[in-house]
Amino acid sequence: MGMERKMVAMALFFSLLAVPLHAAEFPTKEVQIIIPWAAGGATDLIFRALAATTGKYLGKAVVVVNRPGGGGAVGYTEGMQAKPDGYTLTSAVTPLTILPHQVSTAFTYRNFEPVINVVSDPSMFLVRSDAPWKSLKEFLDYAKKNPSMITVGNSGAGGGVHLVALAFERAAGVRFNHIPFSGGGPSVTALLGGHVNAVSVSPPEGISHVQAGKLKILALFSEKRLEMFPDVPTVKEQGIDFAMGMWRGLIAPKGTPPDVIKKLHDAFKRGMDDPVFLKNAKDMAVNLHYLGPEAFGKLMAADHEFYGKLVKEIKK
Amino acid sequence: MFESIQHLLSGFTIATTAQNLLYCLVGAIVGTIIGVLPGIGPIAGIALLIPATFGVNATSAIIMLAGIYYGAMYGGSTTSILLNVPGETASVITCIDGYQMAQKGRAGPALAICAIGSFIAGSLGILGLVFLAPPLAEAALAFGPPEYFSLMVFGFIVLSNVTGGSLLKSLMMAVVGLIIGTIGLDPVTGDARFTFGSVSLLGGIEFVAVAIGLFGIGEVLINVHQPQELLDQKVLVPRLRELYPSLQDLRRSIGAILRGTGIGFGVGLVPGPAPVIATYASYMTERRISKHPEMFGKGAIEGVAGPESANNSACQAAFIPLFVLGIPFAPPTAILLGALLIHGVTPGPMLIGQHPELFWGVIASMYIGNFILLVLNLPFVPLFANILRIPKRMLLPLIILFCITGMFTVNNSVFDIWMMLVFGALGFLMRKWAYEGAPLLLALVLGPKLEVAFRQSLMISHGDFGIFFGRPVSLAFLAGTIVFLLFPLVRLAFQKRKKGGE
Repeated sequence: MGMERKMVAMALFFSLLAVPLHAAEFPTKEVQIIIPWAAGGATDLIFRALAATTGKYLGKAVVVVNRPGGGGAVGYTEGMQAKPDGYTLTSAVTPLTILPHQVSTAFTYRNFEPVINVVSDPSMFLVRSDAPWKSLKEFLDYAKKNPSMITVGNSGAGGGVHLVALAFERAAGVRFNHIPFSGGGPSVTALLGGHVNAVSVSPPEGISHVQAGKLKILALFSEKRLEMFPDVPTVKEQGIDFAMGMWRGLIAPKGTPPDVIKKLHDAFKRGMDDPVFLKNAKDMAVNLHYLGPEAFGKLMAADHEFYGKLVKEIKK
Repeated sequence: MFESIQHLLSGFTIATTAQNLLYCLVGAIVGTIIGVLPGIGPIAGIALLIPATFGVNATSAIIMLAGIYYGAMYGGSTTSILLNVPGETASVITCIDGYQMAQKGRAGPALAICAIGSFIAGSLGILGLVFLAPPLAEAALAFGPPEYFSLMVFGFIVLSNVTGGSLLKSLMMAVVGLIIGTIGLDPVTGDARFTFGSVSLLGGIEFVAVAIGLFGIGEVLINVHQPQELLDQKVLVPRLRELYPSLQDLRRSIGAILRGTGIGFGVGLVPGPAPVIATYASYMTERRISKHPEMFGKGAIEGVAGPESANNSACQAAFIPLFVLGIPFAPPTAILLGALLIHGVTPGPMLIGQHPELFWGVIASMYIGNFILLVLNLPFVPLFANILRIPKRMLLPLIILFCITGMFTVNNSVFDIWMMLVFGALGFLMRKWAYEGAPLLLALVLGPKLEVAFRQSLMISHGDFGIFFGRPVSLAFLAGTIVFLLFPLVRLAFQKRKKGGE
């Protein structure tokens, strides 16, 4: 608690220190993006690709730095404490709105200014192609008859896709047996080896195995069908009102001047529209989803509330 | 098999273009440098250089990035041998006999045998990759949580007394390692454990901080603790013709190298901390079968040659699940998977079919890369060995500086530096009272994985312990553990009877 108060005080102190910047001069040096996860993960890859194309529109290079640890807490704490001058951004991913409900963090999304949302991927359940369930209906019927018997792997306890699986079982009125793994890769491996019945994932995890015909998408939690798999129906089409996914965007420390935010937003927007980035994103099978600062802020606020309720329900 | 050879030949035509040779060379050089520097490891090295490959085609990019990975395995032992500072998990064991060899003026042979062993292991490992990849990858999938748990138990019991010192003290240290391993977010429920409200502790204690602290900093402190006049001494510096291994050294090492290669390749296929298990298992094997086990811990060349070969072939084996299944079992291959994605290659079961030029080109480049690394590393031996000419009163502060900067490069975290210093103090006390650091580090690596696999298994089986005995692979490992525990008793009984009969 004392720690938390000190951090907030520190953040306030830094925001007072901030000299009003003139956007006309921004940027005079390179801009860095803090990734609160290790290099090589989905978030890291997307922002490295975006950093590569945005530099030329911003006029200065965009550098990616990894600050892994604490399920993202270390990176977000550092991003929050950075000078609000627009030179230090942090990648905002769904766990930013989950983590503060689980452990006592010094930050919530309110300690940051939204800049832009870049990606939004629907979550999905994958099963092996030779699974006994041919359709979502058969799967759910089996789950109803055998509560807590179907094992569903996820990429980590309390992480995004775990909560998606928990929310889905509430929406569908069934109970699964949730098995946490240390990342999306290991959970997909366990599914391939037949050690779990299904996994909850978010692309690009497992997509290549679906393409190869070893796994299939059993439940797709998006608003509309995926371009890559037009034959796979969403769960909404099948009568369950449920859609959920993971978003990935950029945020700046609270107190960053609005004109600096605008300049950053405009540069990253152009970086997103760059054909090189579009090709990279397509190859990674991620779903680009642009949102401006205001809409992105609303999304984070809504999810913060949603996950708060969900985490409380689970902890009961 | 004939088809594989044909593919491999076409791979060589791809790998020997001027551009690809250049990228292979760059990868090997960068890998060696990263391996030599403590702290910054192959993971960070590959991640840093991914943006530099944006402009080139996927095959050249992967040739270079893979070169960094196996190149780092060559350089990794250098600081272990010279300064007792293990830069990576894979080179912890090398500290034990490698550093002792250096203290006896045999740094040259130790460094050279690492390069030679790595070359042999790397080359044989690639052969395994070419001919055995698809069936082995499928076999690796058979490892689910229960199998994984039993393997960890086996590794834990068999390897915790790796140095052959006091069994009681080794087990005590292993327990300390297990306890330290529980710090951080609970892997199953996501709750914070033993973090005392510290955000920095949420991610757990960084392995490299413990390793460098216990070995590197601990060793410096032990030296400082010695009488003043010893500090003015230099380590014995060898004459030129003693810089490279003698024929006798090679004869003693070759068996260790081949056994290490086999152990490393097998262990490397299993997901998880393969380099640690492979190097510990190799060291343990060499000590057990050696005709002079009393030499181990005092500078036995087999204790360097075996583990160093094991970590190289484990590294080659780690490419199998990556290329055949698109699944990274080791963190460095996870980064390579990311690099493939960036270059528009979707890793997965269809990779070899869709991009044969990439797969076979990269494999062929590994042969070339291994040769480059051998040629590159052997001439450096005299240079590195001469570092020990620096008097201790100057060398020791430099080591501390080296450790601190190296530590910072791992996570760019000042907190990690403090952790390293704390473990340095602990390492000093442990050395003083003859407690081994190796079992502690083993437990620190295996403990969290063991816990997760145990809890995952029981979650899958709804609390039924039968899951560990009902599956053949899992049962085999548990049976192996029991045999290992009973074997000394049986042998003792057998020896007694034999004596009694005479």
